[in-house]
Amino acid sequence: MSRSELLRWGAGVLVVLASTVIGAWMPRASGPPQVRRIEVKARQYAYDPPTIEVNQGDTVRLKLTSQDVVHGFYLEAYDLQATIMPQSPYVEVSRPSRPEEKPEKLEEVEFVADRTGKFRYRCSHTCGTMHPFMSGELVVKPNRLLGGGVGAFAGMLIAGCLLACVLGNGSGEAAVANSGRSPHAIP
Amino acid sequence: MTGKTQNADPPNEGTVAVGDKGRTAQPRVGGGSPAWRLDLLAVIPGLRWLVKRRWLQFAVVFPNLVFFYLFLIAGVFGSPVGNRNIIIIFVWILWWFLLITLMVPFASRVWCTVCPFPFFGEWLQRGALIGTRVGKPGVGRNRMFGLNLRWPKALSNIWLQNFGFLGLCTFSVALVTRPIVSVFVLGGLFVVATILHLVFRQRAFCNYVCPVSGFLSLYSMTSMLEVRSKEAEVCSKCADKGCLAGNESGWGCPWFMYPSRMDRNNYCGLCTECLKTCPYDNMTLRLRPFCSDTRIKGYDESWKAFIMLTLALAYSMTLLGPWATIKDWANASETGQWGGFALYAASLWMSALCILPGVFFGSVWLGRLLGGGAPKPLKDLFLGWSYTLVPLGLLAWIAFSFPLIFVNGSYIISVLSDPMGRGWDLLGTADFKWTPYHPELLAWIQVPLLGIGLFFALRTGYRFAQSRFGSTRSSILGFSPLAVLLTAIACGFLRLFVG
Ligand code: SF4
Ligand code: SF4
Ligand code: SF4
Ligand SMILES: [Cu+2]
Repeated sequence: MSRSELLRWGAGVLVVLASTVIGAWMPRASGPPQVRRIEVKARQYAYDPPTIEVNQGDTVRLKLTSQDVVHGFYLEAYDLQATIMPQSPYVEVSRPSRPEEKPEKLEEVEFVADRTGKFRYRCSHTCGTMHPFMSGELVVKPNRLLGGGVGAFAGMLIAGCLLACVLGNGSGEAAVANSGRSPHAIP
Repeated sequence: MTGKTQNADPPNEGTVAVGDKGRTAQPRVGGGSPAWRLDLLAVIPGLRWLVKRRWLQFAVVFPNLVFFYLFLIAGVFGSPVGNRNIIIIFVWILWWFLLITLMVPFASRVWCTVCPFPFFGEWLQRGALIGTRVGKPGVGRNRMFGLNLRWPKALSNIWLQNFGFLGLCTFSVALVTRPIVSVFVLGGLFVVATILHLVFRQRAFCNYVCPVSGFLSLYSMTSMLEVRSKEAEVCSKCADKGCLAGNESGWGCPWFMYPSRMDRNNYCGLCTECLKTCPYDNMTLRLRPFCSDTRIKGYDESWKAFIMLTLALAYSMTLLGPWATIKDWANASETGQWGGFALYAASLWMSALCILPGVFFGSVWLGRLLGGGAPKPLKDLFLGWSYTLVPLGLLAWIAFSFPLIFVNGSYIISVLSDPMGRGWDLLGTADFKWTPYHPELLAWIQVPLLGIGLFFALRTGYRFAQSRFGSTRSSILGFSPLAVLLTAIACGFLRLFVG
């Protein structure tokens, strides 16, 4: 790779990085931490509500119920797994990281939303045809990954534009000369 | 030769002068350092020997055929619950994941090398599993059985595959969750392929009918592997033309390509015949940069790109999304909500065939206006730029597919031990619990993947703009509406995956 090309890549990466950082820094939580009690109703093949939005630091208490068959509730990143029986006020809660522990019977599952981003809760008890696709979303704000991603993508647009302007002089003409039928084309 | 006149089209990139060590340079549109090629037959010991073996394709297809046969049996007689049946887990999770994340981007249409669907048809056509035949009647110099009809000219494009695939995907929820539906579709592919092989010559089924083929052809343009001729000089002096017409060493290209003039991956099924037939060893396998074929040759291919991108979006909503209503509609065969299903199907078809192409056209039209200069043919800009949706679409599909294996990959272990879901325990792993593999990391994989897709979309789009608009200023202005659209689409996926 030539020096100028290296510089060009370096500059581009810097712009994208800067824009990623700005994007990740932008999102804000919608309020101070609080205790949230939310009822989540499972049925074939979705949860109601489909999306739970909380802030980082919130204490989340979920009352899980099923409207038809036995469902599961496997919340990624929070080491939480529950089995939801229809017509039962209790759920059986366990920790996937500790399979040897006996599941606890609880009325509510509780956790502190310390990790930010979007995490899915999935059904972990085969419940029918679309069972593998039964899921809901927990969004813990501020969602820095989303902000950073949007920042990065916008940064790519900006970086491309800048670099084309700064370094593009002249190459345009070469491109036109090269664009037609290639001189090396096989007869 | 039947088929598209794709072979006769002028190559879109320069062909190469081959260096001694197999590493070669090509002129590249848009300046910068020349693109590289690495002749794999020259650098990987034993590979040349291997691809020249006549038994090679049989040796890889046959085991695959046996597996598919067993999958079909499991589909018919096994558990109707998808995640307990090997046909669902192996085809729609394992196969799909390997196909879209590894085979297509890194090995072009290598799936077609090992694909079992045309096995019976091709066997009947050739009257041989391994050897070759010369003589009449037949195609080129090869003796072949069957009617050997030419495929109709009007259908010599991928429109049939476009509509067929979209149609099939409208019922995808049933397809990927119910073993028996998979049996009908996969079994049907065997039947249709065999019949068409008897009626039409060579791989007409593959080129024009197979629903998998459409996106393989489109996305293999990005692939880092290619079959190409080495020296144009040798070909122009060659009297044998075995790569095209066949000879004692092998079959003429079954995919209707003129291998020595091939300049895109799209319709090369990587069958390795031309590597065997060329008497001068002038055909080879090369490694190359990602996104090297950039020329879309017709609206059928553009629309394939629209359809695939729309489907990636639709699946990310119906299968990965949390919304009950959409799931109920898409899953009408169980919920009975056929009204909702009609709405779902109509919006899918409208988005893929009209809305996305319409918005895309709008940005191309605006770009032509902003770019200024001498008037450019809209069709040329539309086709050229529609390539941007190829890397973006492929990477969106890859990002979509990672959760399938990370979340449900553990079913592979349990289903191996109990393939029919009937309480067997062949390997002692039947009770292996469903264990998602670090699902919380998926988002961190998906964002960079989308970023890579957007990067290549923007880069190829800008390079194409340069080739048409010339000056930097008008290239940027001309490409800007589409660049914004591409970025917005990438952000849309971002919203679905991590937002
Ligand atoms: S085109 Fe379809 S049937 Fe033909 S080899 Fe490829 S996947 Fe198999
Ligand atoms: S047989 Fe070999 S040398 Fe002859 S045209 Fe084909 S690739 Fe070229
Ligand atoms: S003969 Fe060569 S060009 Fe034709 S499909 Fe096979 S590998 Fe590709
Ligand atoms: Cu469930």
